[in-house]
Amino acid sequence: MRNTTNAELESQRDARGNGQGSPAGKILLAGLTGLTIALFLNSAALLADAKRQPDGPGRSVALAVWSPIESVASSLGLTWPRAAVERLLGRYEPEQGITLFLEQSQVVPTSEKDERVVPSVEDEQEPRDLPVQGLPQSLEPIWSSEHPFKLWIAGDSMVQFFGDTFASLAETSALVQATSEPVLASGLSRPDYFDWPTRLAEIMTKHDPDAVVVTFGGNDAQNIRAADGRWLDRFDDPWLDEYRRRIGTIMDLVVSDKDRILLWVGQPPMRQEGFDQRMQLLNNLYRAEALQRDRVHYVDLRELFTDSTGKYARYLPDNVGKLVDVRLTDGVHLSHWGGEWLSALLLRELRKSPNLDELWIQ
Amino acid sequence: MLLLWAIGSNWLAGNKIDNCRRLGARDGVRAWANVAIASDLALLGVFKYYDFFAVELSNLLGLGNAIPIFQLTLPVGISFFTFQAMSYVIDLRRGVIQPMRLLDFAVYLSFFPQLVAGPIVRASEMAPQIAKRPDPRHVASAEAFHLILRGLFKKVVISSWLASNIVDGVFADPQGHSSLDVLFGVYGYAIQIYADFSGYTDIAIGVALLLGFRFPINFDRPYSALSLREFWRRWHITLSSWLRDYLYIPLGGNRGQTADMYRNLLITMLLGGLWHGSTWNFVAWGAIHGVALIIERSLPIERIHPALRWALTFHVVCFAWIFFRASSFSAASDVLTAITGSSGDTKILNAGLILVLLSAIGVQFVTKSTSARMDYWMSRRPILIQGIAFGVGLVVIDTLGPDGIAPFIYFQF
Repeated sequence: MRNTTNAELESQRDARGNGQGSPAGKILLAGLTGLTIALFLNSAALLADAKRQPDGPGRSVALAVWSPIESVASSLGLTWPRAAVERLLGRYEPEQGITLFLEQSQVVPTSEKDERVVPSVEDEQEPRDLPVQGLPQSLEPIWSSEHPFKLWIAGDSMVQFFGDTFASLAETSALVQATSEPVLASGLSRPDYFDWPTRLAEIMTKHDPDAVVVTFGGNDAQNIRAADGRWLDRFDDPWLDEYRRRIGTIMDLVVSDKDRILLWVGQPPMRQEGFDQRMQLLNNLYRAEALQRDRVHYVDLRELFTDSTGKYARYLPDNVGKLVDVRLTDGVHLSHWGGEWLSALLLRELRKSPNLDELWIQ
Repeated sequence: MLLLWAIGSNWLAGNKIDNCRRLGARDGVRAWANVAIASDLALLGVFKYYDFFAVELSNLLGLGNAIPIFQLTLPVGISFFTFQAMSYVIDLRRGVIQPMRLLDFAVYLSFFPQLVAGPIVRASEMAPQIAKRPDPRHVASAEAFHLILRGLFKKVVISSWLASNIVDGVFADPQGHSSLDVLFGVYGYAIQIYADFSGYTDIAIGVALLLGFRFPINFDRPYSALSLREFWRRWHITLSSWLRDYLYIPLGGNRGQTADMYRNLLITMLLGGLWHGSTWNFVAWGAIHGVALIIERSLPIERIHPALRWALTFHVVCFAWIFFRASSFSAASDVLTAITGSSGDTKILNAGLILVLLSAIGVQFVTKSTSARMDYWMSRRPILIQGIAFGVGLVVIDTLGPDGIAPFIYFQF
């Protein structure tokens, strides 16, 4: 353990800085010149970032600033070097128009027929047990190590904190193959950032999982853009209609073409009151859409992650009464233990199907 | 508010200590220093450690929810500014420094480049620079730009790449990876945390340099160390020297019986681990280093071949990192089990990853004079060229880095 003394500091200053340095004013000008050059060279990426921002004054200002700069830089060929490096790295994606959700003609959510009313928690019926799946009821095992039961776990950053744990837990059966796919900062509000319907359609086609677990919502309480290009204000009626349609689209994508199980994991209680209220509102939408579909089961986390007074708690007693921290310090995500608790709950939900239960009995 | 409290209480206590010293009132000096230190430790205790000890006590005594748990948000930078404040009152008590003016002290404690995650700059290092006022005619721009770019490269490119390509996946699901994958995941974390934390301090030192202040270095190629003692002279230097001067030596340091020295060493390392966070994992991390340091001191390690000494040191450090990174004891145990478990097919190991890890370790052996020569060479270039190089460097780093950069690891401490 060594302390750097003032004498050493002085000696370093003389040795490194040539004892001279430059005047602060010139450095400021040189720094600003460098930043201006960086700004033009990087303008395409900055504009892309601005487009990904949530709708609001900040996004409008960012677009107003970066759009003309990107136009100038592009016309001068200054965006080319970055694009070339990205091509070399295999990351280059030429800009496409904002991809909104799959057209209605491709996937027709069953909720389309239903009245678009958001029921309150009180109006909801109790969440049902997982319905008997449309899977074969035979006692003969239909999965094998060559043809495993495929489980896919997808969603936003919340999946990072339970996806792998749940996959490991599920794979304690040799007949199960599980994949966890978190995409940070993603959700259903901004398909221009990450298009989950397209990705899920791809997963269903390419991998054909037998059960899917999804969770969204943490990043979704923001304005969304409708198919006609209008921005819909958060939680206004048109927003609720559109968001509910998107939920339905996801659900139908997963369960419409096959006897597949979908577990839709609701948002846990959040430490910050306003955020918690917004998440509970979204949970009501998920629950309402799930209730309209067979094979879609809404998994409520409220009870699992609240204390005896029904409030958010970072520390909760486990089954032997020992307090464990189930949430991270951010008051949003799940800790290691929280991930284990949720994984155990999800496995219990899956095992409610008679055929699936056998997978983990062996 | 906490920062204001820390500024006000420590500055007032500092003035009282100085008055008592002038009057020759030793008891007064000691009392005011103790009051200030108790206040600083209380801040840390309430915001950082209370819940941890409340939960542990509750579980130990089977009290359930009887002990209230505050669930307070950890204030940004609290571990750093409280340690700086304590260094101020202790140095005043020792008569090493003179009291600072209120505004100077407020600048010292809240100086933004190092407020969030260090380095822990002592009052004895910062006070003369603030009092003297930086000379705006002579700013070490080349060195500053170099440090900022180097720090950003370490964080945005190296740390983020390792986190997303190997470390996060391995630590999230060690059982799902081959033993070789997990082993390289641990190596990857060793490089990641170095790149992350030293990257932050490079940026902090560079920004401070642009403002005319020179911070002490915080990292000196730690993975080139041939012993743990050397490692701690090279890793998080401002914390290790703080612990040495304000904890280890007051405990007795190397004085007394060998057993006393070992006890002092172990206590220092345990508390050093706890400083990082209120979990048993950090305590275990400190304990591993403490025990390993004791073993190292009791053996004639200088007789071992340097290459073997390097390998031993590096692997002890990596072993301790497992507990530092894992979210719980059982998660750390899973990682260790996976390393010694089945070989299996590698999912993530490839030539690119090995090259990155070898390069990152290799640069640890590049001498400091190489870096100094680069600074010197750049400092001879016209200032406009320096600015342009800085701008182009920023774009290169942003292009090479992945989308979405995780916060600095040490922000949580």
